Amino acid sequence: MHMDRTFQGSPTPGPNATTLARAVGLTVDMPVQLGASSVRIVDGVDFAIGVGERVALVGESGSGKSVTARALMRLDRAARVSGRVEFAGRDLLALSEREMTQVRGGDIAMVFQDPMSFLDPLMTIGDQVAETLRIRGVGKADARRRALAVLDELRVDRAAERLDAYPHEFSGGMRQRVVLAMALVGEPRLLIADEPTTALDVRVQDQVLDLLDDVSARRGLAVLFITHDLGVVAGFAERVMVMYSGRIVEDGSVDSVFARPRHPYTRGLIKAVPRIDQDLDRLYAIPGAPPPPFARPTGCAFHPRCDAAFAPCLRDVPAVLPVEGGRAACHLHASQGA
Amino acid sequence: MSAPAVSVRAPRAGLGLSAFEASVIGLVVLLLAVAVVGPLVAPESVYRSDIANALLPPGAGHWFGTDDQGRDVFWRLVVGARTTLLSAFLVVTLYSLIGVAVATIGAAGPRWLDETLMRITDIGLALPGMVVALGFAAAMGPSLRSAIIAMAITGWPITARLLRGIMRQTMEAPFVAGARALGVSRWRLMTCHVLPNSLDVLIVKWAGDVGTTVLVLASLSFIGVGAQPPSAEWGATIAGARGYVSTAWWTVVMPGAAVAITSIAFGLLGEIIQVRRDPSLRGN
Repeated sequence: MHMDRTFQGSPTPGPNATTLARAVGLTVDMPVQLGASSVRIVDGVDFAIGVGERVALVGESGSGKSVTARALMRLDRAARVSGRVEFAGRDLLALSEREMTQVRGGDIAMVFQDPMSFLDPLMTIGDQVAETLRIRGVGKADARRRALAVLDELRVDRAAERLDAYPHEFSGGMRQRVVLAMALVGEPRLLIADEPTTALDVRVQDQVLDLLDDVSARRGLAVLFITHDLGVVAGFAERVMVMYSGRIVEDGSVDSVFARPRHPYTRGLIKAVPRIDQDLDRLYAIPGAPPPPFARPTGCAFHPRCDAAFAPCLRDVPAVLPVEGGRAACHLHASQGA
Repeated sequence: MSAPAVSVRAPRAGLGLSAFEASVIGLVVLLLAVAVVGPLVAPESVYRSDIANALLPPGAGHWFGTDDQGRDVFWRLVVGARTTLLSAFLVVTLYSLIGVAVATIGAAGPRWLDETLMRITDIGLALPGMVVALGFAAAMGPSLRSAIIAMAITGWPITARLLRGIMRQTMEAPFVAGARALGVSRWRLMTCHVLPNSLDVLIVKWAGDVGTTVLVLASLSFIGVGAQPPSAEWGATIAGARGYVSTAWWTVVMPGAAVAITSIAFGLLGEIIQVRRDPSLRGN
């Protein structure tokens, strides 16, 4: 199916990093109705994340970034995931569901968008943070002690007194710290953060990002940060991968992608960020809307919205080719010779 | 089009109970108090025949009159309250436990098990509970114990179906997905997160069901498969006195009223709890 897509060697993390996680030809099909046809949400994605590396995955809503992340942890029971997902040399797609529960929270942890609804309203925060440890056989007192240590590390106010408090007694920002503590207490090596700051106000968002920055640096924790906020990407990540309609269209260091975006879509995204230092009457928007996954255009999925599209774009899916500072999937670069 | 009605209500003092709510709760508390204290203070004579004083009408000596054996109807009702309420609590608690177990195993287990359990539940729902309970109780030999077991066996399907539906809803909650992403197993997810967050509806149902069960239990005893004479259980009391409806109405009407009032009181209690836990229903 992907004979026309070539990848130059296996995906690698950014420079100076050893590979921690790697996806090769990751494809996710979601059934539309039980037993009926399915829709390809993620279409052959290759990427790698290095030990301690912070990678941002950006794209519009519906581009498949969350589904990609969830597929790494095999969270969608209905989804058919194919390709290869490796973590520390193990093929996660080959594990049993039982082994997978050990990976979740242990090797890879995930935090989500809305901290309010991601805490069980009937469980004390101490129990919730300790749960990740308790299910791995850690004793009650020990789990509680470690939960407290993580809450303190994340600077949750008066954590010791409030271990037995319930989620509704915490503010939004504190709740997001608790959610983060739940994810970190199992000492994962990769944290997937699915728009963890989107539901928070800007000031709290900043605090949480600082915290994540600190923790990731101190623990050598790799972070896959899913967002559509390029401002967050610039401040936090080392590398950025841009997704469009289920495929990665550009991948490179934050510096090079922001300075020299290769793909017209990335260029559009960066141009669409409102800037405080420029006085504009109208904000820029990429014309058109992303295609639904069941009606993807032929060739490059972006060509109907692209101002630089030419003949090959309508015909062939562009290969992901190395460019200076990263890789990009665009015929403009293929024709120039990488 | 009229503007949406906005009700501005002055905050009520204390628990904020309306007079109606307070009287229902007061009645339930009174019934419970009678059930607990009554048998301790009742005279021994409730089980002793005194033919000389048979079928006396209500009066100063015997507030609710006496029955065909000359036993005081009021004190028999007081003593019977414990039997009746305790049995009803037991029945509802037993079948709630079965219902919770069925719903949780269904939710946590593989799909085929869930389907099997829910089909069995459907069959249970399709059968008229009272008739099946009658059959079970008759087969086990008529006694209060048989009636309790029979009702526990036939009562669980509604609880199981209701709870399974609510658990399915709760499973969609983000915190369930969050716990799963941190490695919580499906069984633990169901028992520690989904079930506790689904149970509040059962608390409402529990109160309402006690009311219904009091009625059904009295009916079974009346038919003769439940509590047996000389038990002071209300249904059995009505059954024993049914020959005197035309000559000594108080022997039948008094226990009948006790069944009706208790059943209605617990039913209303269930409704009050339901309204109070759902703010959108409040204020009507």
